[in-house]
Amino acid sequence: MRDESDGAPFLRIQGVGVRFGGLQALDDVSFDVPRSAVVGLIGPNGSGKTTLMNVISGVIKPTRGRVEFRGRSIGDVPLHAVCRLGIARTFQIVKPFANLTVRENVAVGSMYGRDRRSTGEAFERAGELLEIVGLARVAERPASDLTIPDRKRLEVAKALALDPDVLLLDEVMAGLNATEVDEALALLREINARGVTLMVVEHLMKAIMSISTHVVVLAEGKKIAEGAPTDVVASPAVIEAYLGTRYVQRRRALGEIEREREEAEAMQPPGAH
Amino acid sequence: MAWLRNAGLGGITGSPLAFALCCALLVALLGIPLLHNGYYENLFRGIFMFSAMALGWNVIGGYTGYVSFGNVVYFGLGAYASAFLAEHGVENVWLAIPLALLVAAAFAVVLGLPILRLRGHYFGIATLGIALAVEEIVANLDALGGGSGVTLRQAEWFPQYYYAMWLVCAASLLATWLIARSKFGYALVAIRENEDAAAVLGVNPTRYKIAAWAISGMMAAAAGAVFAFANGFIDPPTAFAVDDNVFPIVMAIFGGVGTAAGPLVGAFLLTAVNETLWSHFPQIHTLFFGAVIVLVVLFLPRGLLYLRNLRGGWRGFVRSLAAYRV
Repeated sequence: MRDESDGAPFLRIQGVGVRFGGLQALDDVSFDVPRSAVVGLIGPNGSGKTTLMNVISGVIKPTRGRVEFRGRSIGDVPLHAVCRLGIARTFQIVKPFANLTVRENVAVGSMYGRDRRSTGEAFERAGELLEIVGLARVAERPASDLTIPDRKRLEVAKALALDPDVLLLDEVMAGLNATEVDEALALLREINARGVTLMVVEHLMKAIMSISTHVVVLAEGKKIAEGAPTDVVASPAVIEAYLGTRYVQRRRALGEIEREREEAEAMQPPGAH
Repeated sequence: MAWLRNAGLGGITGSPLAFALCCALLVALLGIPLLHNGYYENLFRGIFMFSAMALGWNVIGGYTGYVSFGNVVYFGLGAYASAFLAEHGVENVWLAIPLALLVAAAFAVVLGLPILRLRGHYFGIATLGIALAVEEIVANLDALGGGSGVTLRQAEWFPQYYYAMWLVCAASLLATWLIARSKFGYALVAIRENEDAAAVLGVNPTRYKIAAWAISGMMAAAAGAVFAFANGFIDPPTAFAVDDNVFPIVMAIFGGVGTAAGPLVGAFLLTAVNETLWSHFPQIHTLFFGAVIVLVVLFLPRGLLYLRNLRGGWRGFVRSLAAYRV
């Protein structure tokens, strides 16, 4: 654990904007991620969630703004060095090394990540991580043999092999059935309990709501809400982004939104995040 | 060799058995000059040369996944390193080899920085362009004999060139094996499989690609340095021959890309096939040779050494043919 006594926030996203040609994928997005938090990042399709993940992990350099990790801007850090700062990610579109075994896939992260282990140690560590994510049974199979849920698990194991302080998870639960989602949530809680800060992009509202300590909502590249999970779902801006303006107007006329917020506040003590 | 895989060893070396057999074969071939048969000595020196070049191509094309069509440029530079020394009165192949290695490494670093930013076909085209350009440059350098070439005075004890080429070949094989057993090898394969994913896992793609290209070039350059002395004469068309560019690639693919022993196996088998065809069909042997290559690429796209990995043995092979190829 490095020194944080200077008061710099653990992970700060500050005025981040990304433009792809004529498309403003992200527009002035700012928020802080406290250490050991589980931040859920939600928003409709195309709202910029994956782009933001790409910015934080150094895959895309932002057109405007900056990402600071422990008070240090990661804008000038080359992609391969980001993981050594303690930031790891999974890819929504999984990128396994198809011709390597599952164990070898994970071992590469262990060899070149933070601890730069020797091959022997890396294979050992890979074995431990495969136990944790539940892939030990297929450790010696080529990664190309894996089913989609197992490929998602492999992504998590590869990211964990970097010994991260922050883990960015891009839709690791997509395509999983109810039991598998519960298993995945248990796994994420376990990882978080070990002191790893999580940032989770997910479409499954139930999953996000149950695991997050803090939720950030994006729509069309802008941050439209931020706060405790129950506050955020009741926010008119969020409902509007997901369900459209007319739906919100109708519900407001009926007084439903205010009632729901009161209920949510009654359930959740203030300042939960 | 399932236990090797299970122990997490030998994953990217290819078959350890094939490697061991290749080593044994090389050791046995140390005895060839004792036969005092010029044909065999030439034949095997040629095989060692192509083996080293195929092994070299395999490091960048097979392990790193950057398909180079210009590795002959290193062969030519190595040959001209020898020629340069010979022109200055140093007619010693054992000094030419280290010089060739240095030249190749320097060339790889200087040109690798811009070229290795290209991916896929673009990299291949760029390497081809470099090979053609360097040949033209050398042809216009009077200091290196220009278009008329350089004659190298050979040593009296001719088998030293056989042993020199043997050493280049054996060292290339051993180096490939060691790379495939190391962290470095896993970095290369990770880049081949998915460069972005490799970078996110902490692999610095630029550094490892340049290192791979330099090692690849050094193997070819050392072979070129010995070739120049063994041949006694080089000019640009000999040093940068199209055959020397294409054959090593075909051999590596034939034997098995991304395995330590594959390129050597490919060099031995294809040379054997070529020699047999040549002696039986002197007029049209290249036609048969081409047909063999086409058949192999069609039916064993990943090379002979992958036969072992086919699930379900020959029935599996036939099934996969039915599914994908025919």
